[in-house]
Amino acid sequence: MRKIAMIGMFLAGSAAAFMGQANAAEAYKIGISAGLTGYVATIDRAWSDAVKLAADHLNAQGGIMGRQIEVVVEDNKSEPQAAVTSYKKMISSDQVDIFVSGCVSAGNFAAAGNVVRAKLPMVLCSILPTQPDHLKWAFTMIPPPRFEVEVRLKYLQDKTQIKKIGVIYDPSPYATVQKTIAEKSAANFGLEVVGIEQYKHDEPDLSAQINKLKSEGAQAILKMGVGGTTLTAAKNIKQLGLDMLMLTSLEDVAVLKPVGDVLGDKFFFVASPAQVYQALPEGALKAEIDQFLKPWRAKFGDRDPNWAGRGWDGVMLIKRAIENAKSFEGPKVRDAIEKIAGFQGTTGIYNFSPENHQGLTENPLYLAQFKGGVATLAQ
Amino acid sequence: MRLHATILQLKAMTAQQSGSRRRLLAWLPGVIGVAIVLYTFIGGGYLVSVVSFGLIYALFVTGLNLFMGYTGQVSFGQNAFAAISGYMSAVLTTTYGWGVAPALACGIAATLVVALVVGYPALRLKGHYLAMATLAIGLIAYEVAVQWQSVTQGYMGISGIPPLGVFGYEITSDRGNLAFLALVAGLGVGAAALIRHSRLGRAMTAVAGSEDAARALGIDVARYKLLAFLIAAAYAGLAGSLFVHVVGFVSPEVYGLHMVNLAFTMLYVGGIGTIAGPLVGAIIIILLPETFRSFRDYQDMAYGAVLILLLIYAPRGLASLSDLWSGRARG
Repeated sequence: MRKIAMIGMFLAGSAAAFMGQANAAEAYKIGISAGLTGYVATIDRAWSDAVKLAADHLNAQGGIMGRQIEVVVEDNKSEPQAAVTSYKKMISSDQVDIFVSGCVSAGNFAAAGNVVRAKLPMVLCSILPTQPDHLKWAFTMIPPPRFEVEVRLKYLQDKTQIKKIGVIYDPSPYATVQKTIAEKSAANFGLEVVGIEQYKHDEPDLSAQINKLKSEGAQAILKMGVGGTTLTAAKNIKQLGLDMLMLTSLEDVAVLKPVGDVLGDKFFFVASPAQVYQALPEGALKAEIDQFLKPWRAKFGDRDPNWAGRGWDGVMLIKRAIENAKSFEGPKVRDAIEKIAGFQGTTGIYNFSPENHQGLTENPLYLAQFKGGVATLAQ
Repeated sequence: MRLHATILQLKAMTAQQSGSRRRLLAWLPGVIGVAIVLYTFIGGGYLVSVVSFGLIYALFVTGLNLFMGYTGQVSFGQNAFAAISGYMSAVLTTTYGWGVAPALACGIAATLVVALVVGYPALRLKGHYLAMATLAIGLIAYEVAVQWQSVTQGYMGISGIPPLGVFGYEITSDRGNLAFLALVAGLGVGAAALIRHSRLGRAMTAVAGSEDAARALGIDVARYKLLAFLIAAAYAGLAGSLFVHVVGFVSPEVYGLHMVNLAFTMLYVGGIGTIAGPLVGAIIIILLPETFRSFRDYQDMAYGAVLILLLIYAPRGLASLSDLWSGRARG
C-alpha cells in the first residue's frame, strides 16, 4: 500500500504542478527559447544572459514607454521538439509579447509556424527561416554568413602568399552555408579551394580530414563551425607537424584562447567588434559597445561579449521599434522593426527593410589573433 | 458438510472479488492516461501539444513493445523507421505536392519495405548482436538524413509540411490534433491488445519465452520475429509521419538517439510487455519535464530522480500497479 501511496502522491503532485502554471502579466514580456543545455549552450547562455541584462538596464531607466520588461527563458535543449514545446508554453501560458530567441536554427524553424499564428515577431540569434510567411515575422541579429567567410578570404589575399586552401565544416546550417559560400567565392579572392571535408560536432580527432586537405595542397584551413573541435583541429595540426594556417569562425574567446596557445601566430579567428574593443577607433560603434560592456563586465567579468552583444542589441532594437510604433502590439512592432535603418548596435549598423530581415548590411567583422594571450587585430 | 460447502463458497466469492478488483486495477493506468488526455483537451494551453507528442510516442512505443515486450527481442533502431516514413511524408507533400494521406501511406509502405530488407538478415542475430545491428540501422538512417541534403535539406530541415487532413479538410488547431491523435493512439493500442490475444500474439510470447521451445511446438520462429519487427516498424513509421505533419517541420535531430532513449524510458516506466504500459509511459514521461519546468537548472536532476523512484517502486512499470495491490493483498 505504501508503494501505491507514494506513486499516487507523486502523480498527484505532478498534476498539481502542471495545472498551476498559468500567469497573468502586466509587464512587456520577452520570451527566449534557448539551448541552455545541448550543443549550443555556450552561445545561448551568453545570449539569454545579455537579454536579461539589457532588460534590467532598461527597467532601471523606467522600462519601455513606462512598461517594465519581464524576460521568460525556456531551455529547448538544442532540440527542435523541445523548442516547439518551449515556444508553445511561452505563447499560451506566459503570453509573451515578442521572442528574442537563441541560435538553435532548427528549433526556431520548427516553431515559426506557431509564432506566426500568434502574430508575434521573432528577433533571432540564428539564421532566418526559409518559408516566406515565417520569414515575414523573423529578424536576425547575426551577420550574414558570407561576412565571416569574406573577412578570412580577404586576409589571405591581401596579407599572405597563400593560393590554395582547404575547408572543414560541421553539418550545422550556419557552417554548411559558410562552406558553400567559400567554395563559390574563393576564386574572387584569387584562391583555390583544393578540398572540402566534413566533421561532426563531437568528433574527437580531425587528423584524417586535415591530412587529406594537406595532401591536396592546402596551405591554410578555413574551419566553419563552433565548439571544441577547433581545439581538436589545432592539436591535430601541431601533432602532424604541418605548416598551415587555421582560420576559424566567430566563437567565444574562452574556447579560442587554448587554440591560440597551441598554434600561436598560425591561428586566426573572425572577431566581432566587441571582442577587439580595445583596438577599435573612437566613434559611435565603440561608444555603443561601451554602453553594453560596462554592465556586462560588472556582472560577468571577462566573459566573452560576442554573442551576448547581439542579444543586448536585440532588446535595444525592440525598444526602438516599440517607441517608433508607439505600440506594444506584435504586428505593429514587426512593421516598425522592418522600417528601422541606421540602428547602431554593438556589432555594427543594422538596416532592416521589408526585403532584408538580416539587418547587418556592411561587414563589421575583423580578423584577429592572440598576442600575449590578448585578442588583437591581425596584421 | 454444510459448513465445508459454505467455506468453499466464501473462498470462491473472495477469489472472485479479488479477481474483479485486480481486473479493475489493471484498467486503472489506462484510465489515468485517458483522464490526462481528456483533462488536457478541456484545459487547453501548451500542454495540448505536449500530450499530442506523448500520443505520437505512445504509438511508437506500442510498436517497440510488440517487438521487445511480447516477442522478447531488442531493437535500438526503431528511430530509423520513424525517420524513413517522416521524411518520405515530408518530401512527398512539400516537394511533390502530394496529399497528406497518400504521403503518409507511402511513408509507412517504404518503412515496411526497408524493415523487410533489413530485418530478414538482421533477425538471424540474437541478444547483443541484434541490439548492435539495430543500433547501426538507426545511426545509418540519421546519417543519411544529415548527408542527403538535396532531398532532406540536412540540418536545415524541411519546413512548410502541411498539417494532418484528408479530402481538403485540414486539422489546424492543437485541440483538433490532440483529438485525432488520441483516436489513432487508441486504435493503435487496441490493435496491439488484439494482437496480444491472437494466435500471432501467443506465438510471439512463445518466442519470447524460449525460441527452442517455440520451435519444438511447431512455431516458425524466424517468421514470427520478422512479423513482429515489421509491425513494430509500421507503428514507428506511422508515428514518424504523424510527427512531421503535427509539427510542420522535420530535421535529423528529431529522429536521433534521443528518440531511442526516450522510447526506452517510456517503455520501462510504463511497463514492458503490458498493453497499457506504452500509453501510460509515453504520457507520464512526456509530461514529467513540464512538471519540473519551474526547477530551471535542476529540471533534469528532478526528472532523473523521479525516474529512479518510479523504477524502484514500480519496477515492472506503472501499468503493473495491480500486481502491487495483489502483492499487498497476499501479504
